[in-house]
Amino acid sequence: VRVGRLVELEADDPARLPELCEKLLANPLIEDFEIESA
Amino acid sequence: MRWGVLQFPGSCDERDALHACSLVGEAELVWHEERDLDRFDAIVVPGGFSYGDYLRAGAIARFSPAMEAVAELADAGRPVLGICNGFQVLCEAGLLPGALLRNESLRFVCRQVELIAADGERLSVPVKHGEGRYYAPAEMLDALEANGQVAYRYAPGQNPNGSVRDIAGVTNEAGNVLGLMPHPEHAVDAMTGSTDGLKVFERMAAVTA
Repeated sequence: VRVGRLVELEADDPARLPELCEKLLANPLIEDFEIESA
Repeated sequence: MRWGVLQFPGSCDERDALHACSLVGEAELVWHEERDLDRFDAIVVPGGFSYGDYLRAGAIARFSPAMEAVAELADAGRPVLGICNGFQVLCEAGLLPGALLRNESLRFVCRQVELIAADGERLSVPVKHGEGRYYAPAEMLDALEANGQVAYRYAPGQNPNGSVRDIAGVTNEAGNVLGLMPHPEHAVDAMTGSTDGLKVFERMAAVTA
């Protein structure tokens, strides 16, 4: 059993999103993240 | 030997860590906003629930000002000991390999366990955590074992959280940064049933820069 969660964040300036995802929002060893542009 | 014991908002084991360190040297409590830790020979990142474990355990504390100084001391070869939440913080900070997941049972565990150190010595210390299941990809685990970085394992049949390969504690490649989920600082007085935890502090004190 794995309990997880989903974080959704909308941002106007996507420049720092990859760094934000890798360092804070997700731990890449155990979690994934996706960045979509509208 | 002068120990600095960090304290984050939400730490709860810093007093016991301070006491344990005072049995093997001098010890001082350090608020996490301090940036200069150069006066210390060794650092303890204690247990608790820094920042309420929001997002992920340790994910926010790793950005505390003191953690930059901890990374510098670790690079310089000084001993850094992360216990429970401190282990989670060091993993999130990238100072230790791997990550800690929710216990396999999905329940908080609190009990005495037997550990086996890398040299075969057995220690009786308590665990108390909800997210202590050590995880790393298989290739990383093979490398850790090959490098002798698995410092402590749960004795056969005593793994309380489903950690891979019964791993209870790991070190960095250089060996001066150690993180473990069990609480050696809660096992330094015979009144608690075991003084084996002192050995963990003594071993760390023997790691010299």
